[in-house]
Amino acid sequence: MSGVDETTAQHLQELRRGTVVLACLVTLERPGYGYALLESLADAGFAVDANTLYPLLRRLERQGLLESEWNTDDARPRKFYRTSPTGRELAALLRRDWDALHTAITDLIEGESS
Amino acid sequence: MTSLTDRYVAATVRSLPETQRADVERELRGSIEDHVDARREAGMTAETAERDVLTELGDPAGLAARYSERPLYLIGPTNFLFYRRSLIALLAIIVPISAVGSALVQAFMGEAVGAVIASAVVTALSAAMHIGFWVTLVFAVLDWTGASKSGPLVRWSLDMLPEAPERRAHRGDTIASLVLLTLVLVFLAFQQFFPIAWNLDGPVREPVLDPALWSFWLPYLIATVIAEMVFTLVKHRAGGSTWPLAVVNVVIAFAAAVPVAVLALAGALYNPAFLAAFDWMQADGVGRVLAVGTAAVALGVASWDAIDGVVRAARAPRSARRRPLAR
Repeated sequence: MSGVDETTAQHLQELRRGTVVLACLVTLERPGYGYALLESLADAGFAVDANTLYPLLRRLERQGLLESEWNTDDARPRKFYRTSPTGRELAALLRRDWDALHTAITDLIEGESS
Repeated sequence: MTSLTDRYVAATVRSLPETQRADVERELRGSIEDHVDARREAGMTAETAERDVLTELGDPAGLAARYSERPLYLIGPTNFLFYRRSLIALLAIIVPISAVGSALVQAFMGEAVGAVIASAVVTALSAAMHIGFWVTLVFAVLDWTGASKSGPLVRWSLDMLPEAPERRAHRGDTIASLVLLTLVLVFLAFQQFFPIAWNLDGPVREPVLDPALWSFWLPYLIATVIAEMVFTLVKHRAGGSTWPLAVVNVVIAFAAAVPVAVLALAGALYNPAFLAAFDWMQADGVGRVLAVGTAAVALGVASWDAIDGVVRAARAPRSARRRPLAR
């Protein structure tokens, strides 16, 4: 996002803030651990800071939206998170809201141009 | 694992609840190692990679706050406005009262003017610091314990709307001030030539104020009163108080009040011959009460005037502060 001025960057950040939770809930339909999730979110275009994502995972777990399990099969033990049934419901609701917002914005734009 | 990561992880989990500590430590350590490995594969040395990763994670206290969802501020937006209002109200009420109270006590005990002023200043400062500290502490604890999450302590309602800046009252203020100042001038001259008090033998034909003051202080006081009148007219033309005007107001108010207070406390304000006309004036301590009372009233009125000017300047709408009211 080079060449973006401070105001623009701030608005972009605000617009994207809530989407990280949805992205996590959707991505963790398949179990994953912190660093791997960070990578796949970055690949998908969600640039999340590590110091934001790791505490966020624990918060979502506390809220019952994620479940976790330690995997000690590998040399390095890792905490795997997976979206819980509650988390899945929330993700569905957030996606419906997302779609509704998209439709609303589209309507606004088309209403203006006509 | 080297000591940097150890120190970082320890610093992070230190403030977390006991139950989370081991789990967070294990996960955080693993994540840091993942990040370091990724950078080493990209060609970094182990040491640079570790420093890089930890620097990017940032202040461990901040990370810990995110883990425990503790606020990173002392007083959050929920109660901040109520906090600010409480603080201002308490400071405005308690600081002047305690300063005046302590000054009065010192003055009645017969302390010198310097000691009285010093005691007032010290009391005002320590009262202000106590209020600031304790009020802030109470509100910080509210935020820290999460009590603020359930909403503000006092919900804002329409009843709290302040009055609009009184433009219409403005003209009345100016006229009242000018009338009052004129009366002061009239009194200063009148008391020299005509009796203003009576005792059992009839009118007391002595000036109230010490005639020796005509050599300098009375003309000086008359000059300050005239300055105040000019100032009132300038303020009226400017359409209300502004910051520079508020400062001038403070200077004029105290330029008049401080000499009056000092003269009163030194026993040089009132005409001894005038006081001698009243038997009850000779009683023990009455002179002292008169001196201290006069000084307190003079300084009190000046302080009130000064604060009023500052408050009005602070409340004036921005447009009025920049340019005079358009007619």
